[in-house]
Amino acid sequence: MSEKLQTLIIEDEELARNLLRSYLKDHADIEIIGECENGFDGVKAINEKKPDLIFLDIQMPKITGFEMIELLDFKPQIIFTTAYDQYALKAFELNAIDYLLKPFSKDRLLAAIEKVKHRIANEEDNTEKLDELSNFRPGEEYIDRVVVKDRHKIHIITVDQIRYVESLDDYVMIYTNDGRHMKQKTMKYFETNLDPKNFIRIHRSYIVHVDHIAEIQQYEKESYIVILKDQNKTKLKVSKTGYKKIKEVLHF
Amino acid sequence: MKHPLTNNYRLLGFYAIFWATIGIINIVLQVLWYNVPLTYSILDTGTNYVLYPLLGSSIWYSIRYNSVEEVSVVRLIIFHFIAASILCGIWVYISYAIYQPFIRDNNTFLKDGLPSKIFAGYIMYAIYLVFFYAVNYYQSLKEKIKKESEYKALIREAELQALKSQINPHFLFNSLNSISSLTVSNPEKAQEMVINLSTFMRYSLMHNEKEMVSFSRELENIKLYLSIEKVRFGKKLNAEFEIDAHCMDAEIPNMILQPIFENAIKYGVYETTDQVTIKTICNCEGNFLKITILNDYDSSTIKRRGEGIGLRNIRKRMEIIYNNPDLMKVTDHKTSFEVQLIIPQKQAMS
Repeated sequence: MSEKLQTLIIEDEELARNLLRSYLKDHADIEIIGECENGFDGVKAINEKKPDLIFLDIQMPKITGFEMIELLDFKPQIIFTTAYDQYALKAFELNAIDYLLKPFSKDRLLAAIEKVKHRIANEEDNTEKLDELSNFRPGEEYIDRVVVKDRHKIHIITVDQIRYVESLDDYVMIYTNDGRHMKQKTMKYFETNLDPKNFIRIHRSYIVHVDHIAEIQQYEKESYIVILKDQNKTKLKVSKTGYKKIKEVLHF
Repeated sequence: MKHPLTNNYRLLGFYAIFWATIGIINIVLQVLWYNVPLTYSILDTGTNYVLYPLLGSSIWYSIRYNSVEEVSVVRLIIFHFIAASILCGIWVYISYAIYQPFIRDNNTFLKDGLPSKIFAGYIMYAIYLVFFYAVNYYQSLKEKIKKESEYKALIREAELQALKSQINPHFLFNSLNSISSLTVSNPEKAQEMVINLSTFMRYSLMHNEKEMVSFSRELENIKLYLSIEKVRFGKKLNAEFEIDAHCMDAEIPNMILQPIFENAIKYGVYETTDQVTIKTICNCEGNFLKITILNDYDSSTIKRRGEGIGLRNIRKRMEIIYNNPDLMKVTDHKTSFEVQLIIPQKQAMS
């Protein structure tokens, strides 16, 4: 490799950044092109600078390292760092992704960099792996927020703000009280990860928040629509199984 | 279970005094009122109120191995009828063997008493039966209660042990990482942090789950904890204290405050990029120490789900220690989070 790896550090703690910098200082193949204190800055810097490699902390303020990856248009090589996060570790193990456990030694870091160089040399694509990683949610906990990006702005949507989710081929459209946001995720992901006490998949194309349902109307024989509480009185189609599920959740 | 009379000398004493009293009253009545000769009266009394109680004490064994719950009523009645017959037979036989030398003269007092004596023998058996069943029931109940309370104490201890906060591995490893970094840039500070971390860990390991410590000691530990976190978070973490000096000697369960601060850091400091203030207000009112911990948090990024496991454990621990479920109050003010603990004191604080 003739050129140095353009490297970005995304880590919220100053001391942790200092340590990484001191480990990498005299590395022949690494050039640090920037440091970010949080995921918001991280997304911006990655899209602007298109680094070859990032060091990414998982636990960070505002958005986590995993959530940050979901927002990237361009996916560089990533070396994850974490102190202790059982879920993250499980995700890494399942997807055979290399990671560093804090505190880590310089040797361990150098070995991880060698692996990255190997992947780059073999032109391995890690996009799919990273997508799987961000879809992986171990444990029975449901998500409490969704992170989306519109043009240049990142929005954190807590699940109680979601009115409904609509499927759009490979994407979903998330409708909130203030607007709508596109997200590259499957309906299946939302169906399994939103708390079924509050969210019902009423149709192949819709998942709706029960608190936003104003009424349910019979449309034809055996077919129904829900009308939402918003000003436009949005109408959504309900499938047969969807109608059953609504009955179950709302007890009528 | 042992025989209640041989096992408990007090009871045996009462038993003897009880029958002796009845016996003496009987003699006095017979001699003075019915003009029964003293010898006969003594013989009658001796067999009725000394011999029978001696023989009767063995009825214990007949009830001991015939529990009312385990044996059918018919079997029970048949068993006790046979036992009563045998006992009465022996009793009457011995009684008359004793009477024999005195029965030669013409006084029919002893001889005529035979049918009523046999009848009395059965009645006495029935009374003994009730008495011993009652004693047996009382003893097993007492034993059960004792076992139950022992069992409860064991559960309580195990529960408390589980509820006492453990050092969060996330905190530990991040702190170690900070130390690792400081060894390169600032070895002196690294050393200081190692010492602080050790002191904090020692405190949390040293005290058992029941132990009470002085509030000043607990507060010192909290300051230590915050100073360690301060190294990690820098100016993002700001701690303020408003402590009434009178409260310092108050007693408080050890490590009860740390999870609250840990929570404040997790949801307050960790989730935002701005500075977060954790404010601790403490005062004493009469027999209570009141501690309020307030922290601001960014409600746009996290949806708090009420009490997490850390706070729930504190509530549970307080409930077990003070037997009162209302000593912790959690309030979400949407931009700040408040936890209030009320710690009862043995003595009024002034």
